[in-house]
Amino acid sequence: MTLHQLKPHFPWITLLALVAVVGVAHPNFLLPANLISMVADIMPLFIMALGMTFAIYIGGIDLSSQSVANMTTVLATIALPGLGLGAALVCILAGLTMGAVSGFVTTRLLVPSFVSTLAVGGIAYSVAQYLSGQRALYMDVTLRDASFGWMIGSSFGIPHEIVVGAALLALTWFLQSRTVFGRALKAVGAGEPAAAASGLPVRRIKVLAFALSGMLAAIAGLLFSAKLSGGSPTLANGFLLPAIVAVLVGGTPLTGGVGGVINTLIGTLIVAVIRSSMLYFEVDATMQQMVFGIILIVAIAATIDRSKMRIVK
Amino acid sequence: MYELTKVDKVFPGVHALKAVDFRIERGEIVGLVGENGAGKSTLMKVIYGAYQADGGTVAIDGKPVRFQSPRQAMDHGIGMVFQEQSLITNLTVMENIFLGYERQFVRFGVIDWTAMARAARQQLAKVKLDIDPATVTAKLSFAQRQLVELAKVLTLEERVEGDLVILLDEPTSVLSRTEVELLFSLVRELTSRASFIFVSHRMDEVLELSDRVYVMKDGEVVDMVPRAEARVDAIQRKMVGRDIDKQYYREQKQQPYDPDRVLVSLDRVSLPGRYSDISLDLHAGEVLCLVGTEGAGREAILRTVFGLEKPDSGTVRIKGQARRDFGARAAVEAGVGYVPRERKIEGIVGGMNVYENMTLSQMGRYSTAGILHLGKERALARDWIRRLGIKTPDVFKDCGGLSGGNQQKVVLAKWRSGGSDIILLDHPTRGLDIGAKEDVYDMVREMCADGAGILLVADTLEEAIGLSHTILVLKDGEARHLFRGAPGSKPSLFDLVHHMT
Repeated sequence: MTLHQLKPHFPWITLLALVAVVGVAHPNFLLPANLISMVADIMPLFIMALGMTFAIYIGGIDLSSQSVANMTTVLATIALPGLGLGAALVCILAGLTMGAVSGFVTTRLLVPSFVSTLAVGGIAYSVAQYLSGQRALYMDVTLRDASFGWMIGSSFGIPHEIVVGAALLALTWFLQSRTVFGRALKAVGAGEPAAAASGLPVRRIKVLAFALSGMLAAIAGLLFSAKLSGGSPTLANGFLLPAIVAVLVGGTPLTGGVGGVINTLIGTLIVAVIRSSMLYFEVDATMQQMVFGIILIVAIAATIDRSKMRIVK
Repeated sequence: MYELTKVDKVFPGVHALKAVDFRIERGEIVGLVGENGAGKSTLMKVIYGAYQADGGTVAIDGKPVRFQSPRQAMDHGIGMVFQEQSLITNLTVMENIFLGYERQFVRFGVIDWTAMARAARQQLAKVKLDIDPATVTAKLSFAQRQLVELAKVLTLEERVEGDLVILLDEPTSVLSRTEVELLFSLVRELTSRASFIFVSHRMDEVLELSDRVYVMKDGEVVDMVPRAEARVDAIQRKMVGRDIDKQYYREQKQQPYDPDRVLVSLDRVSLPGRYSDISLDLHAGEVLCLVGTEGAGREAILRTVFGLEKPDSGTVRIKGQARRDFGARAAVEAGVGYVPRERKIEGIVGGMNVYENMTLSQMGRYSTAGILHLGKERALARDWIRRLGIKTPDVFKDCGGLSGGNQQKVVLAKWRSGGSDIILLDHPTRGLDIGAKEDVYDMVREMCADGAGILLVADTLEEAIGLSHTILVLKDGEARHLFRGAPGSKPSLFDLVHHMT
């Protein structure tokens, strides 16, 4: 087996190796209860990374995810008393709209997605600041439990966050692998000129990909806000970098076209293991972003398809 | 003084230069002509150092040299004036002239702009261009830019000992007749300082300017004629120089087309800068070939029919329906299929497998409510793999890993399986080996027999003649001549070249 053939298998090999290393050093890490709570804790990030996968799969990126999630935590908290479960719908629509705006700016105004999503992220962040009055808001616990309790409970020892994450994974996997839209995404990511020359509506597909990314970022924010029972314009800060790391480490390169949501699952688990291992190895929490920054650079350098990028600026 | 002896250049699958002998004397102007793909560009690239010869010797004044890069060639006095303007348009004229050689003007770590301007003015005087060297290049006309490029190359005079050889690649393609005359008189004057190699598709211009003309065909120099003996007809004959092997294209198998069913009709269609006033009719069962030199407008016309380029005036009708909204999607729905020249870029999606590629243009037919029927897709792919003899281990093979011929078959299967009956073929056999070419020819004939109409831009003139019912010859974006030929009474290569150049 050559290195080239081995490349698609790197992500899960990395995951197993990491689990083994941490497990040997700290056997407690491998306790089922510990693993389950680790996975449950990472779910909001995972859902955001699922959305990010679609943006990166078509060769773009979504830098607005974290701000969209922040905005949703505020929206959910504000809308909960009046709308109950309807607050969820408001959040999802808001995320969808933000993503669609990014997609529109990227495809119609031809602004590269790293700029368009950064700008839309700025708007989302500002909306959150304005609506919250720059304060942390809290949900009424009874109201929260009535509307969102099902998201954060636990059945048969499995936290419901994991169920939500798994359901979204199944849904996005189906979308990616079994639908016309998923096939079109792949074609746009792997060979946009050929996709256009086959008559695919390339722009519409891209807008949908960004909309999907925005929507999943909103769901991530919603889950996070239900879990913490409140919202603030900075609640989800620190999500963006690990979400991008999860997608790239999982094996969806920045150039797009390969990888997908299953890869992102593995990538997210890698991020989760790294994060909890920092606790075990007593790395200061403030150093987390430092570690993820370094991993991001290494992951991009290792996975990017340079034949698709002649000029890098 | 500058001499190539028995120079060879081989690329994977192509013997681009075969034992080429070429020499140029001090102060001479040498013309270089040949069809597309005859090896002119490769030869130029060997001369100015972009390619290294695989065999033979390159010598200056009898001393063998070997250039690893254009910069080394420049150090030996060989400069290239590029056809596609190599100036950086947002830099000033003087910055362009001395690009990469600014060091001479550096004083205490900063550039002395006054000195550079003075030096640039001196260079511009050589080409009789009276402009401010601090002008931003984008503000110049194309003719002025051409002269700046020449001035840039002439800076070699001061940098290099010995004589200059300057290559002019299609320098007249964007110039008006008066500008061409100015350029030519300038080049003649400059022969006191340099020799010139002049490459052009315009035969009359080559003969007007050159002292001698080298004629290339299939990677060989087939003739060298002094101007006194040069005649346009004779050179054009040398450029094509062979009869078509009628057997190879199986002309007898060609069926007549149906003159009553018009599939595509262009009526006085124009797109400024690309083509003008083009009218043609493509019928069911017909192969209509567009012939012309590179840039004559062939590809632009194909792309217009496919909706990728919108004409400024005129009407495009597809099956009687005048097209209003351009865009590939509408074309595909109307039954148009496009087999592009850049097979790996616009033809197949590398990274997607055989069946994914085949259904890409017709996923609606293989899905219900947006959900794909993978089984049906695979069955379709298996069927077409068998029908076209596509060599692939299975339907799951990444198309990026197939050979060129098999990739081309996948692209053709994509359109044919979807029922497209207007097929646009842009260099469908480029880079394919003989066997794969024959397969493509067979498919062309089969599609015609099925009543499809084919608009072809052929890889070679022989292919154009061998495959087509009708040939439209284009020159500089205008229709020059329409040949209709049944097997046995087809135009000759010479007839085509005569109208092309």
